This record gives sequence, C-alpha cells and structure tokens, in this order.
Amino acid sequence: MDSPMSGRASIRLTINGTAMELGCPPERILLDLLREDLNLTGTKRGCDLGTCGCCTVLLDGRPVLSCLTLARLAIGHDVTTIEGVTPATGLSPLQKAFVEHGATQCGFCTPGFIMTGTALLRDHPDASREEIERAISGNLCRCTGYLKIVEAIQAVGKETP
Amino acid sequence: MAAPEAPPTYRLIGTRIPYIEGPLKVTGRAEYTDDIKRPGQLIARLLRSPWPHARIRSIDVSAARAMPGVAAVLTGEKYPTPFGVLPITHDETAIAVGKVRYIGDIVAAVAAVDEATADRALQAIRVDVEVLPEYTDPKTGVEKVAEPIHARGLNGTNIQKEVVQHFGDVDAAFAQAHASVRVRGSYAGVTHAFTEPMATIAEATPDGRLTVWSATQVPHYLHRALSEVLGIPMHRIRVIKPEVGGGFGGKSDPLPHEIACAALSLETGRPVKILFDREDVFVTNHGRHPTQNDVRIAVDAGGKILAYDIEALIDGGAWSSFGTVTTYYNGVLSMGPYRVPNFRYRGRRVYTTKPPSGAMRAHGGTNIRYSIELGLDELAEQLHLDPFDLRERNALPPHSTTVNQFRITSTSFVKCLKAARERSGWDDKFRKLPYGRGVGLGCGFYISGSNSPIHFTPKMPQCTVHLKADMDGGIAVHCMQADIGQGSNTLLAVIVAEVVGVDLDRVHVVRVDSDVSPVDIGSYSSRVTFMMGNAARRAGESLRDQLLAAAARVTGYPPEKLVVGHEKIEVRHRPDISISYIDALHAAMERSGALLASGAYTSPPMGGDFKGARAGTAPAYSFAAYVAEVDVDVETGIYKVEKVWAAFDCGRALNRLAVEGQIEGSIHMGLGQLMGETMNYRGSRLMNPSLLEYKIPTPQQMPQVECLLVGDDDPEGPFGGKEAGEGPLIATLPAAGNALYDAVGVRFHELPITPEKVVRGIELRQQSGKSWKGVS
Amino acid sequence: MHLDPFELHRPTSVEETVALAGRLAPKFDYLAGGTDLLPNYKMRLNTRPNLIALEDVSELRGVSLDRVGAMTRLADLEAHGGFRSAYPGVLEAVVEVATPLVRASGTLGGNLLVETRCFFFNQSFPWRESLGFCLKADGDRCHVVPQKEKCYATFSGDLAPSLSVLDAEVEVAGPDGRRRVPVTTMYDAAGDGIQRHHLKPGELLVAVHFPPAARTLRATYRKLRVRPSFDFPELGVAAAARLTADGTIDHLALSVGGTETFPKRFDELTGPLVGSRPTLPRVRELAAEVQKRVRPVHNTFLAADYRKKMTGVFVRRAVGQVLGIGEGRP
Repeated sequence: MDSPMSGRASIRLTINGTAMELGCPPERILLDLLREDLNLTGTKRGCDLGTCGCCTVLLDGRPVLSCLTLARLAIGHDVTTIEGVTPATGLSPLQKAFVEHGATQCGFCTPGFIMTGTALLRDHPDASREEIERAISGNLCRCTGYLKIVEAIQAVGKETP
Repeated sequence: MAAPEAPPTYRLIGTRIPYIEGPLKVTGRAEYTDDIKRPGQLIARLLRSPWPHARIRSIDVSAARAMPGVAAVLTGEKYPTPFGVLPITHDETAIAVGKVRYIGDIVAAVAAVDEATADRALQAIRVDVEVLPEYTDPKTGVEKVAEPIHARGLNGTNIQKEVVQHFGDVDAAFAQAHASVRVRGSYAGVTHAFTEPMATIAEATPDGRLTVWSATQVPHYLHRALSEVLGIPMHRIRVIKPEVGGGFGGKSDPLPHEIACAALSLETGRPVKILFDREDVFVTNHGRHPTQNDVRIAVDAGGKILAYDIEALIDGGAWSSFGTVTTYYNGVLSMGPYRVPNFRYRGRRVYTTKPPSGAMRAHGGTNIRYSIELGLDELAEQLHLDPFDLRERNALPPHSTTVNQFRITSTSFVKCLKAARERSGWDDKFRKLPYGRGVGLGCGFYISGSNSPIHFTPKMPQCTVHLKADMDGGIAVHCMQADIGQGSNTLLAVIVAEVVGVDLDRVHVVRVDSDVSPVDIGSYSSRVTFMMGNAARRAGESLRDQLLAAAARVTGYPPEKLVVGHEKIEVRHRPDISISYIDALHAAMERSGALLASGAYTSPPMGGDFKGARAGTAPAYSFAAYVAEVDVDVETGIYKVEKVWAAFDCGRALNRLAVEGQIEGSIHMGLGQLMGETMNYRGSRLMNPSLLEYKIPTPQQMPQVECLLVGDDDPEGPFGGKEAGEGPLIATLPAAGNALYDAVGVRFHELPITPEKVVRGIELRQQSGKSWKGVS
Repeated sequence: MHLDPFELHRPTSVEETVALAGRLAPKFDYLAGGTDLLPNYKMRLNTRPNLIALEDVSELRGVSLDRVGAMTRLADLEAHGGFRSAYPGVLEAVVEVATPLVRASGTLGGNLLVETRCFFFNQSFPWRESLGFCLKADGDRCHVVPQKEKCYATFSGDLAPSLSVLDAEVEVAGPDGRRRVPVTTMYDAAGDGIQRHHLKPGELLVAVHFPPAARTLRATYRKLRVRPSFDFPELGVAAAARLTADGTIDHLALSVGGTETFPKRFDELTGPLVGSRPTLPRVRELAAEVQKRVRPVHNTFLAADYRKKMTGVFVRRAVGQVLGIGEGRP
C-alpha cells in the first residue's frame, strides 16, 4: 500500500551485514546516509552525479552508484560498502593485489574500483582484459591510466580456482 | 685505462615498492579532508558571480544573515589583502573586492548549519552591479581596452606578462638556413580533473590559533597566504594536509575558498567545512592555458637546428596564478632536449574574463613541445631524414650549457631514442603501415625541480627533513612535502630505510602538519624526488652517523670501520662482528634520549644574469622519447592509440613501480588532452563543467604502454634519481600527433584532435590533391 | 549536492500507481532507476514535490522473449541469456548505454523516456540562472535556436531506435485503462520538443512487447560518442532487415536517434528497397538521403555538421551489415 514517506520516519537497513534502524527523510541519498550519518567514509564523493564511480557500493551484491540511490529504496536490501568487503585483519585478495600492482595512487577512486572489481571477480573470475576494461568503465581514475588496475583484477582472477 | 665504475646497487632503491599507505587506500581507511568531521562544524557555500565582468555596487546580505541556521555571511571587504602564488603577482582576494572577473568568481561566503540552509542563504543575497565588457579572446586583450580586467595590466591592456628573449642571431640563422618550417599551434584549455573535489576545514580556537585541514599540494604556500590575508602570524596557524585525492597542479595555488573558509571560522568561532561540488572544481580551474603559438624552426642541410623563433599568446583567465612562470616556460622549455644555438621568443599572457588558468602537470612545457615536435617531424620529411636521426643529431650532450645558460648535467636522451626506436620496431613501421595506421615519434624535456623557489625570503632550504628515532625502534619522518598520490611518502620512507639500513616498516611518515613538519615547498615543478630525496638522504646519513658513533663505543671499532647492514651495524669486511640496529640505537640514546636528525636541500647557484634568467633553471632535467602507434577509422575520424613505447630518462628509477605508474598516468592524461578533453567556452562561459562532458579517456581508450627506463644516474640526484611526475606527459601528445600524420597524412595543429577534426583534415588533404600511402 | 524535500510514494500495483498518479498529477515524477532523474533533481531541473517509486510494482518486472517489464534493469537485460540471443541488435544498444554502474540501476523504461539533453539544459541552477533560464526549465526562450516556441534538446536514449526497428510496442497503463503504442510512434515528432511523446499525463509505461517477427530480423545498433563509455549518443543508428531465401529484401527498417528531439524512422526511404536485391549503390543512396534529412543542432559535444555527416556513414554501415553487404569498418 502506498503511504507517502516524508519527515524523518525511521527506516531499517542492513549495512555490511548489520541491521540498523535510523532516521531518514525521503530525499536522503544513500551516499549521504553512509558518509554523513553513519561515518562510513570509505565510500567517496567524487562528483555526486553518477559520473565518476567513487561512491560505488554493492546493493544485494550489485555495484551501484550510491550518489544516485535514494536511501529509502535500499530498505529491505543488503548494502555493502568498502568497509564491508575489508576483512577484520589484513586485506582481501583484490585489495592486496591493488597495493602490490600499484593500482592505487591518490587512492580516492580506489574504494569504488574495489567494489566494482569485487563484484566482477565474484561473477566472472576468468574475465578477459577487455571484459575487465568494460566492467570498470564507469569508474574514473585520473592517476593510473587504468593499466595497473586491470592488471591487479586480472591477477586475482587468475589465482581464483 | 680503468674500467668505468659500475653504478652502486641498493637494497630497496631501484626495486618495485608498493605504496606504504596503499593498505589504507584500498580499504577506504585513508583519511581525506572531507572524511574529517569536527564537532559542531558548520558548512560553507559560496555565492559565485553570474557575470563575466562587473563592478560591484552593493551587496545586501541582510536577508541571508537573518535566516535561521545561518551563522555568518562574508563579503570581500573584510579581508581585502590580495594574495597569489607568486609574490610578484598578488591579484586575488579571498572574496571579490570591488569587481568580479569571471563567471564563478566568489562574491560572498555563507556558513550555516547544513548545506541546504547555506544554499538557501546564497539565494537570498542581493548583488547590485554595473556590468562591464567581457574579454574572451586574448587577441583583443593585447591592445588597450576600455575596462582592463586588472589595474596591473600593461599600459591599459589586459596583458598580464610579456616576455621577450633573444639569444644569438635568429634572423641571420634563418637567412642561412637550408630549410625551415612554421607551425601555428592552437590549444584548448584543459584541466586537472582530480577525483577528489577541493575541500577545506578551518577551526579557529579560543587560544588564538587557527587550524586548517585542506586538500592542498603546497601546504606551505597555503600557510603563508592564510597568514598574509587574515593578518594572523604564521606560528599561530597550523596547516594539516590529510590524504589528497590527486592534484596535478590544481591544488598548488593557495585558493580563495581556503582563505574564505578560515575567515568564516574566525567569524563564527566554530569549525567550518567547505566541500566543492564538481562545477566548483571546474570553474576554479587553474588548468593548462588555452594557447596559440607560432613556431618557426630553421635547420641546415644536415638537419641541425639553427634557430627557433617563437611567439606564444596565452589565455590567462581572470588571475595571474603561476602565469608569469607560464609565460617564460612556453619559451625556455622549448629547446631541450636539443641544442638550439639561436633563440627568439615573445610570449604574452593575457587576462580574460574566464576561469583562471595556472599550473597543470608538465606546466608550460606541453603545448609548445607539441608544436616543436610536429615541426621537427615536418622538417625530417622535407630533408628525407628519419625523425629519429634528425633528433639524435640535435641531442644536447651531457654536461653542457644551453644558449640561455641552462646547466645540463645528466642526459640519457640518446639512449631513450635508441630504446624507443628498437623496441617499437620503428624501422619496419614508419611510413610502411597501411593507410589509417601509423607510428610517430615525440620527445620531451622537463625540469626536475625549479631551481628558484617561489618564496625566497627568508632564504631557506627548499626542503628540510627531520627524523626522530626513539626506544621503540621506529623512525618518525617529518617533512612538509605533499604526497598527492605520486608516492613521495613511500620514497621518503624508502630513502631513510635504505640509508639507516632498517626494514621499511620501522619508518613512519608523519602526516604533514605545520606544527611539526619542517618546511618543504610542496608538490610542484617536479621537485619532490630530487629535493626531498636529497634532504631525506642527508637526514638519514645524520641518523646513521649517530648510530655508527654509538656502535663504535660498543664494539671498540672506530666509526670509519663500521658500515650499515640490514637491521645492524657491522665491521667493514667483517660481517661476523656486528651490533643490531636496536642495540646501537639504545646505546646512542644513553646520552641524549631519542635521536634527532635533520637534512636539508638547497639547489646550487645556476643560470645567467639577464632578466628572467632563473626561469626554467633546474638542478637536473628529465628526457623522453616516445613512439606511439595509432589506428584511425578514416571515415569517422575515430582513432585509438594502440601502443606507446615510453623511453624515459628519470636518472635511476628509485621506485620502479611508482615510476611506471607516473608514466602510465601521464600518458592517459596526455592522450586526454590530445583526444577530447577541452574547457569548452562559449564567450566567457564554461559549457562543460562536469565529468560527463569533460572527456577523460576511459580504460578502453588506453594504449598498451611499454616503459623503457634507460636513464643513467644523475650526479646530483638522490641515488642518481630525477623527476618522473610531469616530464612523462609531454612526449605523449606529439608522438600520437605525428603518428596520426603517418596514418592519414594530415598534420593536426589544433588540440584536441576530435574525430570531426580528423575527418575535416582528411577532406582538406584530399581537396589539396595530396595522396597518402597510395590513397587519394 | 542535496535534493529538495519531496514525498516518496511506493505503490505496489499498476492500478495503484495509476490512481496515485491521477491524484497527484501534474505534481509528480515517476522514479525508475533514478540515474537520469536524480542528477536532474540535484541540478533542480523541473523538480516536483512527489516521486512515485516504481521499485515495488512487480508487474513492471520480468523478462521473456515476448515481453520485457519496463522496470527491468539494463544490467539484467544484458545478463539474460535468452534475450541476448533472441535480440542481439537490442543488446548492442543496451551495452552502449552510459556505464555499467548506470546500467546496474537504470531501467528499460527509464531509457525509453530518458530526458532530452542540451548543453543549455543539463546545467546547475546557478549556471542556468546566470544565462537566463531556457524554455525547457524555468524560462521562456531557447539558447540553441533563438526563439520562444520550440525546444531543440536532443533525444538521447539508445534503446528507442533499436526497439523501433523491431516494431516493438510499449504497453501503457493510464486512467482510461491499458493500450499499446508502437515505439516508433510513441514520440512526438511534431510537438514543441517539451512534450516529447504521446503518453497522456499520468500514463505509466508497463512493458515492451516484441512481435514474433522481431526474432526473424537481423538488427544492429551503432552509437557515435567521444568515449566508449559514459557518453550519451551524439548519434545512434539502428537498422533491422530480413532477406528472403532468394536474397531479396523482405523487410528493412531504420531509426536514427541522437540527432533531433525524437528518434526518427525512415520508412519512406527503406520501403522502396523492399522486394529488391541489396546493392551497395542503393545502400549508399539511402544513407545519403537519410543524412540529408536529419537536422541536428549544435547542443551536444560534437558539432552538428559532423553528426549529420556521420549519419550517412553510420546508416550505410548499419544497413550494409543487416543486409549482409557491409563495407568499411564493422
């Protein structure tokens, strides 16, 4: 049934596996909720208009632009941020590969690439160079020229049995 | 005759070392300015001018001030002290005073409880102005104008800076030339487009101090500018540089919003944050200047360069920024890597009512290089010389002096040429690939640190590094150098670890904080590796010597018989007699507690004694020779650079992983300028202030890159290293431009080379009756 | 960047949605994937006080070879093996939309109704205010073609041309019940450029239906843009054809987007080719004639005359390909 949502009625969300209830007006954008309300600052704000991919998070496992997602539309879905794909100790294989291959320079776009890359490797561990290039082509990097990012993703894919 | 000494080898230097802060970046734990939240912080927003040029009659902020949630509204008159990155051209204010000079100029600043409130307050501000004529074309600005944009324009014009230089006798050289060429290059403005938008937090505290966190690549200049404009002594201001998400020159000027943000904090007594949206970033610009240049090159029958005759007209936008340097660089950086015996240059940088241009990666060396390299390619064709042969004949020799008295020490340019030629298979490809496919050569030359620091008073070293080694065995490194993603923190740690002989994880590079970091003048002019590297090495040696002295007391061997091993100090040629690093450290601490060490770098005196002689002088230079291979769809004009062979002389590559990263990233950025990036103006108005319409190349557009690091050790560089942060960009553009000529027989002298220009170029060639590779 | 407050409605059925729309009209927008609407809202472009989210309306989902729900995400369409092999020409268009991240949220219906685009429209509020608002948002004049009657913003969807050439239809639900509209005639060719399609106020796009014949066509989509990702089409050409066993043209359709305010079919030019054998000269003629008839204006990144010229090249290549007589680059 339709019930218009306005004001600060609280919503229930699952973020990084933890269910939480928080106040959230209808116009709240997921990125703002993560960064401003929950201090999950690993997700970056690069353009706020869906044109850089720095704010990529996983929604039910799919990489999406959190700057173009209404927080309320994430109700009932699982949100995973960079904090959620980072192991309690150490790094994930993809994070490790990014460090070792020099796939991060200034690092601002990196969490977004990790999210996109994580989803890609889960679905297509054997992705070819061209497939990787296509898959990351909504994430902008101004430092690396992408070559080492592609290398890092490919290296992890090759290790995956 | 003795065999030449083999270059030394090192434990860490020269290997592939991942960034020490990499694990923080890949997990989102690296802290950028906008990730910091101060208790009770306000949000600031800026009212920007909708007029390209106007005199402010009055600003009514009363309604905005009265709005609930608004803490402060500031206009320009409270802090009218002008500032600017160069001491000689202070023409900016934190907020406009008297006039606005471009669409986007800051008219007022608001601090409020949140962004929405601040935005509403902006809309309530009423500005009454007298609209003044806009000046969009620098050609108009070289004449006397009705309303100069700045009072400081030369003789009632909008000329901000004019440089005229003449060395040798250019007219005589042209008179005796065997051949000559003229290139009229036209370059659209481009911008840095780092992924992290500018952000600043300022917090004035009741103890009379002001702390500023900012996304800056030159914390020291920001520190100075804050002090000058706000009237607070430097020692009561603390500047902190968190992680910075890319700079490329765009965060090197002290910027008005940083000062306005601090002013709002002083006004309210509360922390104030300002975060730019993408349009703010684009209109703040300070990117590469839109430029027209007119280049003539004369050669003798053997292809030896006799003279350059260059004019450059540079569109500065609303402020000076680095413009005086830009005006010199467009001339003086055109010569190397070649010997040019006669040189004449006239460069003019003209104010326009557009967002200011400034320093962008390979500042001043990129556009002129493209014209020169396309000209040389054309001359080689005229003389039936291979482009490689022509360049090799003109290479500046090591340990030589240029006609304008640049001191050249190391150059491996000829090695670069040989490597690029051989690896690219040039001799089998040049003019031999089918129509639509081609190879091209482009070369590069860039300063490895500006010899003259922008701020020279008080006279002080360009970089100082402090080390503290305490009982925990760690070494804390303090230096105000700015890592903006290029890997300078890592290099700092590597150099200290190398010299002191310890594991890398013992070295902790402390976040830049003016309260504790000794001055370094920041990340610009490709100075960090060379200058910080030398300072770090000296600091490391000082610490090492303290450890050696202590080890001498413990072992009974004199210090000169001791050497640093891995995590230990041992007797030379007797590695069985040693003392661990920790034991030596603790022994050294018995007398004085924690060890402190300092190292500094000041570049040696150099350059001629004529006006402007210091511009472009550097303690070393990088050299490059790139081959690009391109594939063109001749019907649509859509092309792809398929591969770049990048032979680069950065001396010894101190961290090969980082150097490759700089080269690959530079190629990406260079190809962006070549292929489609453009600050698209209609009149004074920027039409594409967004990452959607500013066309940064995607992964699918990247060529394969083969890095050929062939440099020999530089005699003065740290461990023989030179810059690799900016020079690698320069050769990219002409290599690809010349490859397009080889592919389709058209010389494109206007950047960016969009597909429509390729199609038009091919049509014009066809209309002229010139066939290419057998295709009409 | 923040959004101004609005009420968010989440109906669960088509009927409920349409009733809600009727009650709120005209002060609402439908929210599908949000990748086009929300950037526009952030720039305060024609914002409205109500958003009706279509997320929970289950009838708008589902992919089969006959019908694709309007709320189907482009990424899901891309991943759907059956759809992929049945309509490779549509897939060529799907994978060219924006970026993978946009396609992860962006929907089929959203792309069909994507807002037209223009350098003078897709700008922030202060940017537009400083120049004077245009008739597409908050103002009364056009900055591209100076006059006050018609908007010249460019149709920028990739899917409409590719669905048009398959003679697909959209199913629409409204206050008066449901109806089918061919994709080809859904857009308003004669209008003012502001009212861009023939949907009535409050009408909801439910699904796209494919006629059985669509699976017998050979189709392709070619997109002109500066970069192989991110960019909206500067030109989009879809073509579909079927040859008889003896090699004569049995069916040929052509649709061009990215050049005017609506995607344009050229049945009057392709029709005469039906029944003949495909020849290169005829294809070239067709391409030249289409080129003549498109009228792009300079309101996107690439110049209008270049986009016009490329229309000829792209049409020739696309039609050549579906007729099996390609020349030039694929």
